[in-house]
Amino acid sequence: MNKELLDKPAQTPFEFEAAYYPPRYAGLKAYTVDELIEGIKKVDGLSIFYHIFHPLFSSHVIPEDMHNDFAVWIRDELHNLELAQIISDIEGKEPRTVEDVREDLIKILSENKVSGRATRPFYFVSCSPVIYKTGKVARNLGEFFDTIATISIRSIAYHFIFKRVMGYSTKNDFSLWIEENYGLKDISDSLSSIDPQTYTDEEKLREDIIRKIEEVMFK
Amino acid sequence: MIEKYAEIIGEEELDSIIRIAEKLKGMSVLHVNSTPAGGGVAEILSKLVPLMRELGINTDWKVIRGDKDFFTVTKSFHNSLQNGYGELPQGAFETYNKWQEINGNELDLDYDIIFIHDPQPAGLIKFKKKGKWIWRCHIDISNPYEPVWNFLKQYVQNYDSIIISSPVFGRDDLLKPQYVVPPSIDPLSIKNRPIPEITIKRILYKFDIDPDRPIITQVSRFDRAKDPLGVIKSYKLVKRHTDVQLVYVGSPATDDPEGEIVYKETLQAAGNDNDIKLLMLPPNSDLEINAFQRGATIVMQKSIKEGFGLTVSEALWKERPVIGGNTGGIPLQVINNITGYLVSTPEEAAHYALYLLRNKEVRERLGKNGREHVRKNFLITRELRDYLMVASLTLR
Repeated sequence: MNKELLDKPAQTPFEFEAAYYPPRYAGLKAYTVDELIEGIKKVDGLSIFYHIFHPLFSSHVIPEDMHNDFAVWIRDELHNLELAQIISDIEGKEPRTVEDVREDLIKILSENKVSGRATRPFYFVSCSPVIYKTGKVARNLGEFFDTIATISIRSIAYHFIFKRVMGYSTKNDFSLWIEENYGLKDISDSLSSIDPQTYTDEEKLREDIIRKIEEVMFK
Repeated sequence: MIEKYAEIIGEEELDSIIRIAEKLKGMSVLHVNSTPAGGGVAEILSKLVPLMRELGINTDWKVIRGDKDFFTVTKSFHNSLQNGYGELPQGAFETYNKWQEINGNELDLDYDIIFIHDPQPAGLIKFKKKGKWIWRCHIDISNPYEPVWNFLKQYVQNYDSIIISSPVFGRDDLLKPQYVVPPSIDPLSIKNRPIPEITIKRILYKFDIDPDRPIITQVSRFDRAKDPLGVIKSYKLVKRHTDVQLVYVGSPATDDPEGEIVYKETLQAAGNDNDIKLLMLPPNSDLEINAFQRGATIVMQKSIKEGFGLTVSEALWKERPVIGGNTGGIPLQVINNITGYLVSTPEEAAHYALYLLRNKEVRERLGKNGREHVRKNFLITRELRDYLMVASLTLR
């Protein structure tokens, strides 16, 4: 472990922002798989983002074995566990965006059509991000790691998930900053290898980010 | 005052609210509704308005005026919007419009952001001069009686944004953004904060309820949508198997002239069973409500139609399992076998009531989950933050 490296000032300090995603009714409902496919084709990218990451943000106590809203609905309303599991585990690793996920959803649902009509429809919801500054700034790697360990998960999710999956950048903000300021490609790549789409517990995501940093930085 | 919530929600959550509020600092905000007390809306506003002020937002709350005819009309609107059929008093639309005119001319509506709560004052949008107007709908408008909805829609579609309590209430015929904001409870209020066991017992004794025997409690208005007759029937089905008492606690509201009629119907259904207590408490009987919920073995909210059903969150916060009607916002709060049970009939309600009465460990598990579910999702601090965000988004 290089103490000097941890204390070395970054060229550009990392300013931590955070976001909430107030839900907005998207104007579409689905009772069948065909209607679900049609809805997925029509809604905006923020709606795909909302439904894919809703379990991570909703802070609920419902069973957490399904990773997204589509999967939960297919299991609970169409009663098809196998399809629910496939939809639950769609890959979301970098550099995939919500548009890649949308394509996968349409492909899987079209190829694995299940019959049946739900009693309770799938309500498509979109969202409008509200972004705010947390007031936390990391000026070197040491401060950066400490802040990751303590900051609101809303901030981690904004930098690590939202901006990248919505296509604002090709990499998560943490990897970009570490690479651009310190050239530590090992850490950057290691963080990029995390697939955030399959987490339903926000603290587990934080733990894994820290673990990936430790594995490279403190080996 | 707002700092007191940090202990419950954590400092980070509180910090996020303060930071989001900074975007609205110095702005003028008005909330308008139809009753100063009674019912969930007045209760939320009585907490929300001071908190918004504390965050540096110049917030006021005004209540519209109306006579008995007006509130009879708006109650018929309320029922017909939630039930899908309607029996409107003669000249209902004219009466509604007349009181919008009166209130529109009397009230100062010169604010940067105006939240209009529910259908009663929705027509005030005609008097919009400046600012952004947001219609906050607390009821289920997913399957309305078309003539009433079409009448109301002429006003609603002129708002800049709409807030609904659940995506289930989303409407496909509105072009304006419909934000989803569930309502909330205040954990620091007299109704929800911890109270000593002796206080619970004293209040139960006062109303002739035995704290040492099992109690099923429902706290809600005497309103057909809350299915008081179904609750009585469930109780009677349970009573065939085990000893239990039923406490149905309601209170009158100035905008609900039907309450007295339904109360009498319920009284008749209860008959002369001494273990059924139908209580019509005055508004602001918060300590009593708290005691009745904490004194309950099980809480019911067996609604047939429901906007959200805040009494569910109140009970879950007190670690009581809830048997709730599978309607409106109740499924957001009652999650089957996790925080309670969702039911559609008195028989189903009786089945789960009996199961819970006989299984203390299940009651405790559901109760603990329920409190955590409410802590994370249905406290007033979350609703405050949501209102701030919707206001910011509407101003964009």
